[in-house]
Amino acid sequence: MTAFVEALGLAMMLAGTAFLVVAAIGVWRLPDLLSRLHVLTKADTAGVALIAIGAAIHVQDVAATLSLALCTLLVAVSGATTGHLIARDQFNPSVADAEEGA
Amino acid sequence: MLPVFDVVLAAAILVSAALALWVRDRIAAVSGFLVTGLLVSLSWLRLGAPDVALAEAAIGAGLTGALLLRSAHRIPCAPSKALPPSLWCAAGALAIAISGAIVWTVTSFGAAPVYPSLVADNLPESGAQNPVTAVLLNFRAWDTLLEIAVLFVALTVVIMVAPARPRTAPLGPLVQPFARVLLPLTVLIGGHLLWQGGHAPGGAFQAGAVLAGGAIALGLSGVIGSKLTRQNGLALLAIAGLAIFALAALAAEVLTGALLGYPAGEAKTWIIAIESALTLSIAATLFLLFFGPAERH
Repeated sequence: MTAFVEALGLAMMLAGTAFLVVAAIGVWRLPDLLSRLHVLTKADTAGVALIAIGAAIHVQDVAATLSLALCTLLVAVSGATTGHLIARDQFNPSVADAEEGA
Repeated sequence: MLPVFDVVLAAAILVSAALALWVRDRIAAVSGFLVTGLLVSLSWLRLGAPDVALAEAAIGAGLTGALLLRSAHRIPCAPSKALPPSLWCAAGALAIAISGAIVWTVTSFGAAPVYPSLVADNLPESGAQNPVTAVLLNFRAWDTLLEIAVLFVALTVVIMVAPARPRTAPLGPLVQPFARVLLPLTVLIGGHLLWQGGHAPGGAFQAGAVLAGGAIALGLSGVIGSKLTRQNGLALLAIAGLAIFALAALAAEVLTGALLGYPAGEAKTWIIAIESALTLSIAATLFLLFFGPAERH
């Protein structure tokens, strides 16, 4: 049983790492800003969440699991928000220009 | 497995530092600096210094990076002509000399340092279970008082230079939900770090930096506008930390005859009081360093 649980956690973390690698390759290979944002924000959040689940399975401790859940929440929320802000700036650059000229 | 990780980490630090130095684009250079800071804090963790890692991640990478990004647009473009080779050679020679001095110091350090055992022996009477907090707020509290004074001097210089405040614009519909999630969490994490400082890595600097990060995110999102930052209350809060620390030092002098020598048995209360004041004051100072001073009338 414990061997199975450990293997499950390891598999989760490996899957999460694979997501992050795909995100990195996507940022490197994709042609423009929007498709890069697309691959980064989604694969990033999924990767971190999977690694956190795998780590939670390994530690089996409520306090540590809560911290991991908090990390996942922060990565998800900030990833989505910054992705939105960068894409918004791409379509509507007047905001950034106003700041630049300030 | 871990030696491989350490070697990759060290190589990544060197590569990102080189990127930060030599990339032409300024934003890319700042990003390189941010990545370097995060990797350096990871390496502090690997060296068994989680306190330094927390401070490096929060202040070294996070807030310094935010300050650099804020300034990246404002500084006129760098001169396009390359630096003269003599300057490169001089800088290289200086860097090699400093590295050599560090290597020599580390290798010639024969006996084990006496500090760790001294701290471990006296930890029970320090009022903190975390040896780092015991050193910062009790055994060497004098040094910490001077560090707070340095922070105060930095803020004074910024107020005298009076930089233009960054103009914030409404950032769209997603920012308010973001702030609603983020801000309660920064207060929670800041309070947690402050309290945790007594028995585990954490403390006033880290807690203050986290609070300041949340406040800066709120300020940049334009939610609080410039109304709050124009009040002088924030500046008062910023200097309150130094004032309370200095008052505590004098009070301890009167009570026990030693500057910052806390009365026996009450050290924990004193440390918590000073650290709480410092947390708010450091947060206010960092926020003002980012947004510029309150306007003078």
